[in-house]
Amino acid sequence: MGGKLNKSSLIGWQFVLLPSALILLFSFYPMIQSFILSFESGKGNVSEFVGLGNYSRLLSDPMFRQALYNTILYLIVQVPIMLFLGLIIAHLLNQPNLKFKGFYRTAIFLPCVTSLVSYSILFKSMFAVDGIFNKLLMNMHIINEPIAWLMDPVWARVVIIAAITWRWTGYNMIFYLSAMQNIDPSVYEAASIDGASKFRQFFSITIPMVKPIILFTAIISTNGTLQLFDEVVNITNGGPGNSTMTISQYIYNLSFMYTPNFGYAATVSYAIVIIVAVLAFIQMKIGGEKK
Amino acid sequence: MKKKALSSLLVAGLMASTLAACGSNDTNNNAGNTTGDSTEGGSKKVVAWAWDPSFNGKALNIAAEIYKQEHPDFEIEVVDMSKTDLEQKLNTNLAAGVTEGLPDIILVNDPNIQKYVNSYPGTFADFTDSSVDYSQFSQYKVDALTVDNKIYGIPFDIGVTGLFYRTDILSEAGFSAEDLENITWDEYIEIGKVVKEKTGKYMSTINPNDEALTSVLLQSAGSWYITPENKGNFVDNPAMTETLRVYKAISDSGIAKPVTGWSEFVGSFNSGDVATVVSGVWQIASIMDAADQSGKWAVAPTPRLDIEGGVNASNEGGSSWFVLDKSANKELAMEFLGATIGGSSEFYERFLTEAGGVGSYIPSFSSEAYQQTSEFFGNQAIYADFTEWSTKVPGISLGMYTQEAKDALKNELPSILNGADLQKSLANIQQLFEQQVQ
Repeated sequence: MGGKLNKSSLIGWQFVLLPSALILLFSFYPMIQSFILSFESGKGNVSEFVGLGNYSRLLSDPMFRQALYNTILYLIVQVPIMLFLGLIIAHLLNQPNLKFKGFYRTAIFLPCVTSLVSYSILFKSMFAVDGIFNKLLMNMHIINEPIAWLMDPVWARVVIIAAITWRWTGYNMIFYLSAMQNIDPSVYEAASIDGASKFRQFFSITIPMVKPIILFTAIISTNGTLQLFDEVVNITNGGPGNSTMTISQYIYNLSFMYTPNFGYAATVSYAIVIIVAVLAFIQMKIGGEKK
Repeated sequence: MKKKALSSLLVAGLMASTLAACGSNDTNNNAGNTTGDSTEGGSKKVVAWAWDPSFNGKALNIAAEIYKQEHPDFEIEVVDMSKTDLEQKLNTNLAAGVTEGLPDIILVNDPNIQKYVNSYPGTFADFTDSSVDYSQFSQYKVDALTVDNKIYGIPFDIGVTGLFYRTDILSEAGFSAEDLENITWDEYIEIGKVVKEKTGKYMSTINPNDEALTSVLLQSAGSWYITPENKGNFVDNPAMTETLRVYKAISDSGIAKPVTGWSEFVGSFNSGDVATVVSGVWQIASIMDAADQSGKWAVAPTPRLDIEGGVNASNEGGSSWFVLDKSANKELAMEFLGATIGGSSEFYERFLTEAGGVGSYIPSFSSEAYQQTSEFFGNQAIYADFTEWSTKVPGISLGMYTQEAKDALKNELPSILNGADLQKSLANIQQLFEQQVQ
């Protein structure tokens, strides 16, 4: 066996060795540790082994159910809207006769470079009771009384969804745009000659061609939404009631706001892991039939 | 050959550095542990963590100046960090069992006291047998620091509440100072309705996502979200029932301007949109930010709940100083705090004059500093009033699960405000809370 390893592959393995060691140390080791931790429960450092106690608690925890419900709601409403918007915008930016392409591209991508906390605070002040958004709507005579956006469970969720969409659409758009630029223009030419409408071209050529990228963005967006934290904490702090609280915020609360129960917090983290894995598996099954 | 040698060398070097990173705990810890270094050097230096440098940090520096008069070689380093950062850092350090790198002195928000002491036993220094005379402090502050008959820190600032009001707006609506003395919350709402009708101004603000008001109401009747035994205190608790009834009444009456955050809350009275603010004494600084409103403010006692045990005084916030038990300078830190914040009237006089902070050290209340009048508040001797009210604040046990209980309440609050059956909602809250703290 040793004889078959030639010099260059040996060098290759040497290079792999170090990152593998680092991944083992900084990624897998904490994962295993937190898995062990998820079988313990207690207050801060005073904890004891409870076996599957945390997991059975999780199943009957109304706070967790509420957080899960909110998170899934963001997921099924926000991710499709954002990805579809991203596709449309990418498609528009990909039009060969569009002027000021660079400007639009930058403008749409720009929200992505803002800090999560600062844009959240901006959204919070925009949607305050006497914020700019209410003033705008009142001046346009669309509403007569200011809407207390962040105090109504439904509107608060709408604001969160609007905020995340604003922040992340440009990010996904860039992926689509680069994928679309790799589509051979002759395919569109042929389609035009065959009499396919622009609409038809978009759905029958563009979308199938960028499908792997759509799958990729769907998985990372799902993952990102399940870990949603900054926006909710800064815009509504989970309120009103706990109607916008996400799972990540619940984990934070369990560890840092409440009497710390790190064991149970680890259990909730593992719930996210399982959900992400299941969702990614489903998406792969649906989206990537060939491979 | 040369290549191979080079790559082997690189890998070896990288491996070595990783291993070094794993094994270098000791050196890192020493670097982080400024306290350890200072004792070796012989100088007497303690490190403290606190938030708000112009208030809490300032207090420590005043204390250090006083202490230095008799101990000239004493030094203090105040590390400023935000309250959330500090709490997170403390939590993660203690949970990891790493006490190196932690300071000698740490500021703790009162509702967190029981939580920390119970979650990390043996971490904080026990002051029970120290030289501090706790009978000189307001009882409710000492109660907050007591866990299993041991006292774990030095009481610091208080948040005794008052009813701040705009004299100009209220007199326009036909109310004088006497009309606001020792009123009930129902009277407050009635006054608010008249104010709203005659001046168009809101009486107060309301933020269903913030528990400040419910906390003030509960403590004014000597009650809290949880019992001293850390059980939910929602069902069969007249103070809780009355608190939520009043809260809903304020919300329903239309006298409260809805706000969603701290800056909006402060903005509402700085811009003159609301006529009154019920808040802790530390709110004075924010109120005085609106310089154009000078002379138009006054402060009356907090409205009371109309039940047995309801008084016209309550508390909002406040913090205490802890010393870490494993700190190398534990004795020095305890002695320093005990001699200044734990028993120096001079400290509290300077703290009030220089930082606007009110403590709970009773001997300082009779000092000249506490008798000063404020031009902003129409020459009222506000601090004398606040300290007088502070002696009436009912002592309560904040328990371990305040935040859990608040969140359980928050979960039901929207439906309570929408008119759901209160008894049923309270039962739901109790159940949710018990689910949370198992």
